[in-house]
Amino acid sequence: MAAVQVLPRRLASWIAAEPDWDQVYAEQLPRVLNFFRYRVGQTADVEDLTARTFEKAWRARHRYRRDLGGFSTWLLTIARNVAVDHLRARQRYEPLDVAAVVPSPGHTPEQQAVHQSEAQRLAALLATLEPRQRELMAMKYGADMTNRAIAHATGLSESNVGTILHRAVETLRGRW
Amino acid sequence: MTSGNPRTDKMSDDGWLQALRTDPSPLFKAQLRERLRAQEPASETRHDWRRRALVAAAAVIVVGGLLSVPGVRASVAQFVSLFRVINVVGVSVDSSHIDRLKAEQLEIGSLIGEHIQVVQDPGPPVNVASIADAAAAAGMTLATPQWLPDKTQVIETTVLGERVVRVTANSQRLQQVMDALGINDLAVPAGLDGQVVNVRVPPVVMIRYDHQNARRSRLFQARTPELTLPDNVDVRALGEIGLRILGLPPMEAKQFAGAIDWHTTLVVPVPPNASSFQQVDVGGHRGVLIQHQPRNQSPTTTIVWSTPERVYALVSIQNVAEVMAMATAVR
Repeated sequence: MAAVQVLPRRLASWIAAEPDWDQVYAEQLPRVLNFFRYRVGQTADVEDLTARTFEKAWRARHRYRRDLGGFSTWLLTIARNVAVDHLRARQRYEPLDVAAVVPSPGHTPEQQAVHQSEAQRLAALLATLEPRQRELMAMKYGADMTNRAIAHATGLSESNVGTILHRAVETLRGRW
Repeated sequence: MTSGNPRTDKMSDDGWLQALRTDPSPLFKAQLRERLRAQEPASETRHDWRRRALVAAAAVIVVGGLLSVPGVRASVAQFVSLFRVINVVGVSVDSSHIDRLKAEQLEIGSLIGEHIQVVQDPGPPVNVASIADAAAAAGMTLATPQWLPDKTQVIETTVLGERVVRVTANSQRLQQVMDALGINDLAVPAGLDGQVVNVRVPPVVMIRYDHQNARRSRLFQARTPELTLPDNVDVRALGEIGLRILGLPPMEAKQFAGAIDWHTTLVVPVPPNASSFQQVDVGGHRGVLIQHQPRNQSPTTTIVWSTPERVYALVSIQNVAEVMAMATAVR
């Protein structure tokens, strides 16, 4: 009987123990927030969308106690859906405010101004991309996902993701 | 983005694509965190706790499996041996063994699952209002840490009732596993099929502590589980096969199997991704301390130890010194 083999896996899950949800929150919050900044722009809604995403995910997060990698992917899936709903609504209900850029500690006012200018410029350029390109850019540069993770999340092939991102970056580069 | 020609610098790497990234404002971060805290699901821990308790039971069951694997040579055993966990030792698991078994499609769960009969199922764990209620439900006085980190409070107390299972040996399965691992210097004993190990896991109590910064610890305790198996089982040979399956080298497994008192010792396989493990003394009792950091999770410390009457496990993401101090203070 092979009963003994089962113990390592079970023990591993046993001692996997209590995730530090504060740490998970601290890690995931910037990813989701920046996903929205790239996906919908520097709007006042970004924090609301982020909060909505977390509230949806948080209630069921215990399902992912064993697989926080899965939790991260799932969180971004929720964020993508929240973004789609928001963009649909935005088509009906313009206009939007521009959210203030959070000052980066340690930067001079001049650096802050340059940063804000570049951020606005990038946001404007991102808005010119096709929706698919923009979503992938948000996943890549906002949520800091790898091409492989994006492929997994979107159902595209990894090479297709790379191609779309490359074209998007080249487009932006040409317009920068 | 720092030289005299910013545009050229920007184009030379992806830095300019990061321009939109920013940290959440501290206010937003704090406010959202509070909103999420207010939505803590009341039932969050129930399934998890049940799973842990079952795994704890499974650990004992596996000891039964470990003990029952090879040595049943007689046909029908009329007498049984009684095993009670008094000592705890750790054994490193060779991850390549697990990988090889997976490659052979020897599905671990089904291997044991199809040979387990649940004789007494306690049902789901029950949340109780206090430690005193848990003691009453479990029918025993409860030990608790007499030292706790500052600002620690009990946030949950749960009891899982007694569980009795029966594990039936299957020599063909064992042979498959040994073949897959290349263990060909040991033989599966004839007459193994159908031999039965009975495992009784008394009620398990879990006390969850919340420390500062939302760090938590869980203390599990139960009267020592008992298992019985046919009296004529060659426990030592059985244990040796089990140790080899875990990945111990042949000579080490033979020596270890000969030295250990299998009637009183719980072998805790330490998973290959544990960062370290060591034998520790917990208030005069031998235990195993395992440090483990699952991907994307906090460093976790698990201490498993036992007294002649009781088995304990303390699982925590506190620092090791504090976890050890808590364990030592359990009385």
